Amino acid sequence: MTVKVLYFGRLKELSGTSEEIVEVRDGAVIEDLFVRCSTARPELSKFRPSLVAARNREFAAWSTPLRAGDEVGFLPPVSGG
Amino acid sequence: MKAPHNEDRIEITRAVIPNAEIARRVRTDEDGAIATFDGCVRNHSHGRQTLYLEYEAYEAMALAKMQEIAAHIYLNYPIRRLAMVHRLGRLEIGETSVFIAVSAAHRAAAFDACRFAIDTLKKTVPIWKKEFFADGAVWADGELPPAPAETPAVKPASN
Repeated sequence: MTVKVLYFGRLKELSGTSEEIVEVRDGAVIEDLFVRCSTARPELSKFRPSLVAARNREFAAWSTPLRAGDEVGFLPPVSGG
Repeated sequence: MKAPHNEDRIEITRAVIPNAEIARRVRTDEDGAIATFDGCVRNHSHGRQTLYLEYEAYEAMALAKMQEIAAHIYLNYPIRRLAMVHRLGRLEIGETSVFIAVSAAHRAAAFDACRFAIDTLKKTVPIWKKEFFADGAVWADGELPPAPAETPAVKPASN
């Protein structure tokens, strides 16, 4: 199945894109998706401790199972205001 | 408990925020207090001189989170109306990046709700700012929003 991944802030600069479609196996969770994305871009992995995940515009645990067509964001610490 | 008012302005914009108009529009004859928060671009950060800021957002989620903050405020503070507007893009020194206005019959609720709105926005709304200096740029240190608890991986049952 495929899901859409969104990158913001420093992750967007690092990955050189704001979004991409990624193929993951059935049963994959958000953590698996992150591992998959950071295999293509090893620099991403060092940010993992300072990221929070969102699935379909809601904060989500890294253990959340994915479904086809999900929109997943890996969000750096927020700094609005 | 009141539902969010239909005319409440909860918004993400790339235009200059019309602070005075927003404050005026939350005002009704039943209110004795309007509290506002004007978050503006400061000319320094960690001892360096800031030239300007750039804001970006996960817009759909940011707007949804701002609406959740508004809903929470209506349930928990005796206020009349609320407005919360955040700007994106390049902002110059002195410009407003976020503006919040709350009207209430009495000042305590207006102050408290306004404080809750900006504090929660800064912790939970997916917006990011990059600070530009004469000699470089950095993404501002931020806060990691609280994430839902992890569920331990479940091993498939063997049979």
